[in-house]
Amino acid sequence: MKNCRIGVYICMCGTNIAKIVDVEAVARFASELPDVVLARSYKYMCSNPGQEMISQDIKENKLNRIVVAACSPNMHERTFRNALRSAGLNQYLFEMANIREQCSWVHTDTKEATEKAKALVYAAVCRVKLHEELESMSVDMCPNVLVIGGGIAGMTAALEVADAGNIVYLVEKDDHLGGNLARVDLTAPYLYSARDLLTERITRTNNNKKIHVHMGSKVTELTGFIGNFKAKISSLNGKPSDINKPVEVEIGNVVVCTGYKEFDASRIVHYGYGKLPNVITSFELEKMIRAGRIETKEGKIPRYVALIHCVGSRSQEFHPYCSRVCCMTALKYAHEIKSANPESYISDIYIDMHAFGKGHEDFYRRSSEAKTLFLMYEKGDRPVIHKASPKDDCEMLIEVNEKLSGEVIEIPADLVILMVGMEAREDSHEIARIVNISQDKEGWFIESHPKLEPVATTTDGIFIAGTCVAPKDIPDSVAQARAAAARILARIAKEKIEVDALYSEVNENLCSGCRLCNQLCPYSAIEFLEEKKQSHIISALCKGCGVCVAACPSSAIKGRHFTDQQVLAQVDGLFGIG
Amino acid sequence: MSVRVNPMFIDDLDSFGAEDVQLCYQCGDCSTVCPHADEVYKFPRKSMRLLQMGLEQKLETTLEPWLCYYCGQCSEQCPREADPGETMMSLRRWLISRYDFTGIARKFFKSRITEIIAIITVAVLTGTFLLFYGFSGGSIRIYDGEGAFLPSTFIHRFDLTVGAILALFLVINAIHMWYLVMIKGTPFKVPWWLYLKELYQLPWHFFTQKRYSECERKREHKFYMPWMIHLGLMLGYVIMLVLVMVFIELLQSGPKVLWQVHIFGYLATIGLVVGTIYFIRSRFKKHYIQYKKSHGTDWVFVVLLFIIVITGIAQHIFHRTGLLEVANITYVVHLMSVVPWLLRMPFSKWAHLVYRPLAMYLAAIRRDALTMQVSVLNSYPVVVK
Repeated sequence: MKNCRIGVYICMCGTNIAKIVDVEAVARFASELPDVVLARSYKYMCSNPGQEMISQDIKENKLNRIVVAACSPNMHERTFRNALRSAGLNQYLFEMANIREQCSWVHTDTKEATEKAKALVYAAVCRVKLHEELESMSVDMCPNVLVIGGGIAGMTAALEVADAGNIVYLVEKDDHLGGNLARVDLTAPYLYSARDLLTERITRTNNNKKIHVHMGSKVTELTGFIGNFKAKISSLNGKPSDINKPVEVEIGNVVVCTGYKEFDASRIVHYGYGKLPNVITSFELEKMIRAGRIETKEGKIPRYVALIHCVGSRSQEFHPYCSRVCCMTALKYAHEIKSANPESYISDIYIDMHAFGKGHEDFYRRSSEAKTLFLMYEKGDRPVIHKASPKDDCEMLIEVNEKLSGEVIEIPADLVILMVGMEAREDSHEIARIVNISQDKEGWFIESHPKLEPVATTTDGIFIAGTCVAPKDIPDSVAQARAAAARILARIAKEKIEVDALYSEVNENLCSGCRLCNQLCPYSAIEFLEEKKQSHIISALCKGCGVCVAACPSSAIKGRHFTDQQVLAQVDGLFGIG
Repeated sequence: MSVRVNPMFIDDLDSFGAEDVQLCYQCGDCSTVCPHADEVYKFPRKSMRLLQMGLEQKLETTLEPWLCYYCGQCSEQCPREADPGETMMSLRRWLISRYDFTGIARKFFKSRITEIIAIITVAVLTGTFLLFYGFSGGSIRIYDGEGAFLPSTFIHRFDLTVGAILALFLVINAIHMWYLVMIKGTPFKVPWWLYLKELYQLPWHFFTQKRYSECERKREHKFYMPWMIHLGLMLGYVIMLVLVMVFIELLQSGPKVLWQVHIFGYLATIGLVVGTIYFIRSRFKKHYIQYKKSHGTDWVFVVLLFIIVITGIAQHIFHRTGLLEVANITYVVHLMSVVPWLLRMPFSKWAHLVYRPLAMYLAAIRRDALTMQVSVLNSYPVVVK
């Protein structure tokens, strides 16, 4: 408080702020506030000259607190903090007043907007006086990595990390590697063999000395925080004693690649799956293709084959999302069935043809050229499969209200393939709980930012990749796995990791050990010290959200940089009381 | 009522010329650019879809292919290169084979060899018959009158016989078309007086081909060129047909002939020469999209017509210059090409001479009946439960 020398900077943001807010008036107002040494307005504070102006003023005028009234702190708080740091001032002795998003952009009256801007600046000035110098913490980064799931994404991430010289613990629930891809014959649209893709990965994974593969196992416990996790890996095979004893490993980062499971087609009664013998799922067809013979249950070569899309996907009753891979897979089947038996006729019954990726549109066109009959049905109006009468030349008849022609039609079929969609694994919530990440309402793991942080989660050090995040194809899964590996390798290379100084602390003298906060913490950052009977916040895990601060009945928890005093001073300032 | 999809139908249509229809993904661009498509007749998109699904029962009762004059704009616009214009053309060929009760048309469209063999057979039979007749009663040196090689009275009877056979096939097929469209394919009631009300459509479309001139692409040409030439060619052979069927005795009687008949004869010849050369040239050069793909039967039509025109002119010149033997022989060759060409008509694309005006007539009747139906329905109060 004493010897506060505050510099206030009002940004015009070109005309974004200046055309509504009288920035000169705000600067004049600020310059007259107590402890404010200088107040300036400038066209673009975030520009290099703007930042240099701050550094310069800090040095020349011995400023020790800075307030910038500009855009949202989400946008440029980091920029100005760097400016403070470069002038040798602790970066936390800074406060931003948002006079763009919260003022000039949302108001039309110049006079009132200017008054509001003054209030916001005054609040920031009141708050910044109470700011303390904070230092961010740095912790060691353990270079070992845990990968959960041995599918294409898991193996790719493991190989990427291990090739850089780090130890990887790869945990696979099944007794073989490959995941769902191991059940597939060819891949769309280039018709590469899935087996070829996998064999190379599996051999490399098994031969890599840095990768410890734990087959038939699962992770049962994960404790600690980024750089310093401890995981327990237990064998699932019911063998006694020593083998069943969980292995404890130390790791710095985790990649979750637990994949998907296919939709259970018998849930849609229209299709008679399980009742009609020649209605099969896409994975059952894959099995036939890999066995080398596409045939009906009676052992005949089917003359009429129908593919039904969106089984379980894009419907309000089952899953509202698109499973992304089924359209191209269906075209792949059309190709494979036609190659196996050129005399066959293929009907492709779809809602919309999603040919979104590289080479996909071409693949669709080729399928059209091969005379696949494409038939469109309305989303809510599913086809119905009937058994044909003996005088028909086919096994089944599919009744569809065909959207493009407006006709109600019957399609002959000897074999019907249901393109079952992807859904989250039933044990995904268990994994989410163990590694402390969130799931959406469909059970998919949530990324920390859908656009800019697609593989990170809100828990530092836990990454997600592949189809456990959302339905996706092989290239996308591989790309995510490599992205997660790249993020981890960059952190390992740094050896230490900096943890934000904005965490909460428990005042041991005040904590009564009620454990209220332990349950509330969304990041599982609060542990209970049994011997002291007190709660303790692991600063590396804490995000400074403030839930515990608000909840603590003894006011024993202090949110650093968000102390009661600071927040109240800001509120007072806003109403001109300070 | 649901209709059964026939996935094999699209293979069958291949030989009628619809080779790219499977590429269509129903964006509807074709119907948007088509100057003739409207709310009632949504071609080419709808027809393409019915074809893909093989809904023969729906296709055989549709008039839509006849409402298209193949300007080719849809094929240029098509993002999938599915060639809707050519598909409509192929459907017209298929419909001709469908209306034809004998099944000959289908054989001709499916196999060019069959068609050529049939033409040669008819030509040889005609030639043999004419030569036999000529040599048995007349002299090769006499062109007309007493002792003529092929006397005009005989030719008149011969022409009328051929014409009667042609008319028989055409009338039966036209009735079949009417049955398919108006009885089988019209689920609503059509009052009889509408047939009288719209009767003018028949001569109007036959003689003006107005809708052909309305095709955007055709309008871009100087003087509506393709329309004019098509009309000229058609009027040419219609006039010629009337001349040979009715006035053959005047025509053959040489310089004593009425000048009016002469004028018509020469005008018709100009129409035929210009038209034939124009269409042969276009099919060779392929400079407009509608001439890009020529079905075998298209070539047979123009080439045969070209031979007819050439031999007809030659015979006329030989006659007038006194080379009577050559004139008589050329006459036989001329008739050897005319007879198969005429008899082929009900089984080939040329039948559109009849089907197209008939289709316009029936389309107008159906549209009237539908409008009446809708207005009747609208006059009832809607009961909401």
